Amino acid sequence: MAPIIRTVNLTKKFGSLVAVDHLNLEIEEGEIFGFLGPNGAGKTTTLLMLITVIKPTEGTAYVGPYDVTREPDKARTLIGMAFQEPKLLWVSTPWDVLDWHAKVCGLSSEERRKRVRWALEELGLWNERHKSIHGFSGGMRKRVEIAKILIQRPKIAIVDEPTAQIDIVGKHRIWNMIRALRDEGSTIILATNELYEADVLSDRVAIIHKGKLLVCDAPKKLKDSILGGDVIEVVLEKEVPSKIVEELKAINRIVDVLAVKPNCLKIYLNQAEEVLPRITEFFMKVHMPVKSIQMSEPSLDDVFVHYTGLTIEEAQKR
Amino acid sequence: MAVKAVMHIMERDIRYFFRFKWWVAGMVSMNLADLFIMAVVYTRMVNPNLVVNYFVFFAPGLTITALFAAAFMIGREVNMEIRRDIIHYMLSLPIKRWELAFGRVLAGSVRGLIYMSPLLLTTLAITYLYTSVFPSPLELFTIIFTLFLVAIGTSGLSISLALSTTSFEKYITMRGVVYYVLFFCSTVFYPMTLIQSSLPTPLVLIARYNPLSCGADLSRAFLLGTPPFSFWMLLDLGIFALFFALVAAFAYRRAMQK
Repeated sequence: MAPIIRTVNLTKKFGSLVAVDHLNLEIEEGEIFGFLGPNGAGKTTTLLMLITVIKPTEGTAYVGPYDVTREPDKARTLIGMAFQEPKLLWVSTPWDVLDWHAKVCGLSSEERRKRVRWALEELGLWNERHKSIHGFSGGMRKRVEIAKILIQRPKIAIVDEPTAQIDIVGKHRIWNMIRALRDEGSTIILATNELYEADVLSDRVAIIHKGKLLVCDAPKKLKDSILGGDVIEVVLEKEVPSKIVEELKAINRIVDVLAVKPNCLKIYLNQAEEVLPRITEFFMKVHMPVKSIQMSEPSLDDVFVHYTGLTIEEAQKR
Repeated sequence: MAVKAVMHIMERDIRYFFRFKWWVAGMVSMNLADLFIMAVVYTRMVNPNLVVNYFVFFAPGLTITALFAAAFMIGREVNMEIRRDIIHYMLSLPIKRWELAFGRVLAGSVRGLIYMSPLLLTTLAITYLYTSVFPSPLELFTIIFTLFLVAIGTSGLSISLALSTTSFEKYITMRGVVYYVLFFCSTVFYPMTLIQSSLPTPLVLIARYNPLSCGADLSRAFLLGTPPFSFWMLLDLGIFALFFALVAAFAYRRAMQK
């Protein structure tokens, strides 16, 4: 089956800055596709090119059968987007914003009322439906923005940082609604810098950094692909000298050691159960008291670290 | 779908306009107050050889002024949408760019007409009071059509300017320049005979082909009988309206290129 979205050397330059650099991606129909990267990685720019708001400098993208550079009007009939920053006129009310959005998307008046009511109730905004958005918190505005896409139910739904500024209960509710949207037939593109969100929601994840695609696969496969399938996080009483890190790397079955903080090491290894006693023994020998030790499976954070050499927080700072 | 989409865009902008209904009512009241202050002050100051009754002369001019200012307001909103990236949302909607552009141009003009209507009614009442002339239905239709063309052109012009910059300061400066040039070189405040005798030829030419002059003088032609009706003025307005509606549509298409 042909992919529903295909980018071919998709590139966007703003002056000398290359925001998206020859991106080649294929997104299958009906999947939740996680688009993961720190702020400024080029995620939103890519999405704005897909929705034909900005034009690629080089290359192109296909939304369904339509080339976004040649048939942008047709491409937009298949795709809808909930933006990272809510795009709302603040004097409007949630009901007006959503009802109008549904109208522009071609919903009948009965269907419109039904869906707007449903979305407002599900997102906990029903009592505020006739209040001016001006007085809303960031999270409430974000929920109105998300509601647009839930009402529109486009063939391809883009959600950019859907749960930013939303509390944990709201996050789970929105995740369930995104899954339900997929189950109803939409393909979802989820842009996020929250690794856990990408992990729990996505069928496949693409990691993008500095405009370049680093890797793209199912979260499980990405995690399994890291050399050293287990991770041990060790917090020490004092700062770890680099010499100690190097000595640690020499221990058999340890694949990599990363200092995530001055006194915190992440050790990537195989057969952690067997190596763990040797690690504790090592720290005792070098007189480095251990504060805590934790063993886990690799996360997407580890995948990100593996491919960029940086944690997502570090990448964001740069 | 095309007509529906244009109507939806218009609906949004007109609803937005009515969210400020008390502000609009206040502005209309101020314009009416301006008109009556002018009536008292200027009618006695202006040389009657130039303008017989300045109050009656100025009333259609003030109607055009109010129409222009109200129709120009849409540009300020478009520029605000650019600055807050709301334009990304508008450009992402499943409608064609030209539908979006024409919807906004038409909404701007309809808002101008709504804002102007109390002033037009006052103008009709004043001219009837002073001249005992009331335009025939055809003449009234022509006046409204004329004003509609002025409103379309103005709305298109303001949207085009708004889309040309992301800076509010630049937009305000451009708006100021357009206001001053168009009002100064026009027959809104003074008749063409005065312009011809006091301004250099290039400014006289601007005043003659200025859509605000054409709009004001066409209204005066039916309300006061002077200057006489001219088909060329109507054509001038038609070109102004069409040109800036197309420029606004082109500007919306170009908005994607950035």
